[in-house]
Amino acid sequence: MTRVDHLSFERLDVDGALAESAERAWGMSRGTFLAAAAGGSAAVIGLTARDAAAQGGKLGARDVAILNYALVLEYLQSSFYTEAERLKALRGDAAEAARVVGSVERAHVKAFRDVLGSKATKRPSFDFQGTTEGQEPFLKTAVAFEDLAVAAYKGQATRLKAQSALTAAVSIHSVEARHAAWMRYLVGANPARTAFDQPKSKSEINRIVRSTNFITSRASTQRKKAPRFTG
Amino acid sequence: MMRGRRAERSGRGDRRGRTPAVLAAAGMTLGLGAVLLWPASRSTPRESESDLPAPAESALQVPTPVELERDPHASLWSTVRRNSTARSAPDDGAPPVARVETRTPEGTSNILLILDRRRDANGRLWVRARLPVLPNGTTGWLRRTAIAGYRLVRTRLVVDLRKLRATLLSNGREVFRAEVGVGLPQWPTPRGRFYIRNKLVRYSSPFYGPLAFGTSARSSVLTDWPDGGFVGIHGTNRPDLIPGRVSHGCIRMRNADIVRLGRLMPVGTPLEIS
Amino acid sequence: MTRAAQDRFRRSDLLKRSLVVGGAALGGAVLSGAPRATDAAQNPDADIRALNLLLKVEYAEAALYAEAIKSGALDGELLEFARQVAEQEQAHLDFLRQQLGSRADRRPEYDFKDATEDSDSFVKAATELEDLAVAAYNGQATNVSRAALEAAATIVSVEARHAAWIRSIVGRLPASSATDSPKSADQVLESLSRLEG
Repeated sequence: MTRVDHLSFERLDVDGALAESAERAWGMSRGTFLAAAAGGSAAVIGLTARDAAAQGGKLGARDVAILNYALVLEYLQSSFYTEAERLKALRGDAAEAARVVGSVERAHVKAFRDVLGSKATKRPSFDFQGTTEGQEPFLKTAVAFEDLAVAAYKGQATRLKAQSALTAAVSIHSVEARHAAWMRYLVGANPARTAFDQPKSKSEINRIVRSTNFITSRASTQRKKAPRFTG
Repeated sequence: MMRGRRAERSGRGDRRGRTPAVLAAAGMTLGLGAVLLWPASRSTPRESESDLPAPAESALQVPTPVELERDPHASLWSTVRRNSTARSAPDDGAPPVARVETRTPEGTSNILLILDRRRDANGRLWVRARLPVLPNGTTGWLRRTAIAGYRLVRTRLVVDLRKLRATLLSNGREVFRAEVGVGLPQWPTPRGRFYIRNKLVRYSSPFYGPLAFGTSARSSVLTDWPDGGFVGIHGTNRPDLIPGRVSHGCIRMRNADIVRLGRLMPVGTPLEIS
Repeated sequence: MTRAAQDRFRRSDLLKRSLVVGGAALGGAVLSGAPRATDAAQNPDADIRALNLLLKVEYAEAALYAEAIKSGALDGELLEFARQVAEQEQAHLDFLRQQLGSRADRRPEYDFKDATEDSDSFVKAATELEDLAVAAYNGQATNVSRAALEAAATIVSVEARHAAWIRSIVGRLPASSATDSPKSADQVLESLSRLEG
């Protein structure tokens, strides 16, 4: 019996048609998960105001933590689109969307890394489990990612302290919403399902991201051990 | 992306907007007759709109989005997620080719070079991988679910058994070259396409030098060798033998060279021996 | 009309049930003046001014879509789009008016007849207006209280969806910019006057 542990489309999208075909497209088993997102925010808990000041003086520790959290989502998206483009498994409108949206998400990653400097969390390892390798899985996952990003930015906006950080967040938040509508249109779903988009809390977002099992531990390909090769 | 010009703003101080709104009266039908009730102050409706401060400058400088660079030298590898059977075709019913496991004999994650992908009749995704099995050069098809995420490398190691030379290319450009010792005639270094499987470091075994790379290539004669008889690329305590045909199949380098290679070549790099 | 477009209509009919007035969930707390955790100085009237600015934009959007639907210039996918979006803009408008109560500005007179004489003009006007809405909301983010920001945030992303959606319908690239720059109130008013003037 296939257990469907997928990108929680039930939580993100009540469009029955979408959820149904998502179940067909996905049939993955749960793998191991290393919460790099959690690891990322843990890395900034020890930040002092002085560290943050070293970044240009404008962003406090909490803003830095929130930006790092946003950075993980941007890593997720940019890696997803980049891999989709590189694997060349998409065609037509979906391929174009991967190209264009991917270039935007990569630009977002650069921007966050620039402002966070040495405090930027590292890019996690990803296993997209085939969703970058086929038209329908790609589109469904893209919809879920973009809707997720919209809800995440929305959930954090009011917690930001610095005005500059808030301006940054809202300027990106609406772009993710455009992407969400774009991908929904391509997959045949309603681009704007409701008049009011609801936020999601950080713990909800983390739970959803964890449930995808997209973030994985790094392969350990190096070891402190004497060789037994043929010599 | 360049931001529009924005009013200069100091940190906490001035929140007032700059220029008063200059709204063309002609043809404008915005109903500004609604007077906003200001406690203890009266201002004309036009001024009240412009009292809203201009937006704050963004903390982020987002660069112009650019296309991905073309990647003609890219190769993909992935980790084996679960012990699986590689098959001769992307089909559950196809003859098995080899068993693949999650760990190498050295205790590292077992990785495979990924060459191709295809869906079976049920729409399930399969990948074709270069396998670390005999006969050398074997490839097989695995379910996509049997492997983990893709990792990309842009390097390629080329070993020329006649010239006794190893060359590392990065993005198609030569970045490393060294003389090598290769297999004696009775224990030849196998020819073909392989990949770098793991990296062993900080051990104490002068015979293998300071570090060693494991490859997916295997000796076709030393089939009883412990741990499978894998061909390695490593240093040596006999640099005087390099270049030469001197080994049991491994590719040996002077220690300074292997250390340099260790800094340049990631695991997963494709390897061509000819 | 393509089959895919037909499927989209069916789906959007199905989903009209989900036009949730989610803003109501926030209750009447928007103008409570609860301070936002930013370093902006607090001015309780800023919410009123900012929301009235956004209300102006919503009035304009509602007027454009109502006019466009009435004009009969639209059909097919564009008409379906306009119908759904009209409802959503009306929901936004109602929400803002409810929050502002007696402090809500009166609805201005708009004349969108030129913009609705054919579908091309409508598409141009709607695209500009949705983009303007996004910039307007983004531009007021740093001016308002936390509650107002929460509410505004639930709306601005929907405007952005509209903007990408209509571009998709007419075959334009739905989104190419990496950021949606905020516009100041002055800029918004100027753009509004140009649009409907």
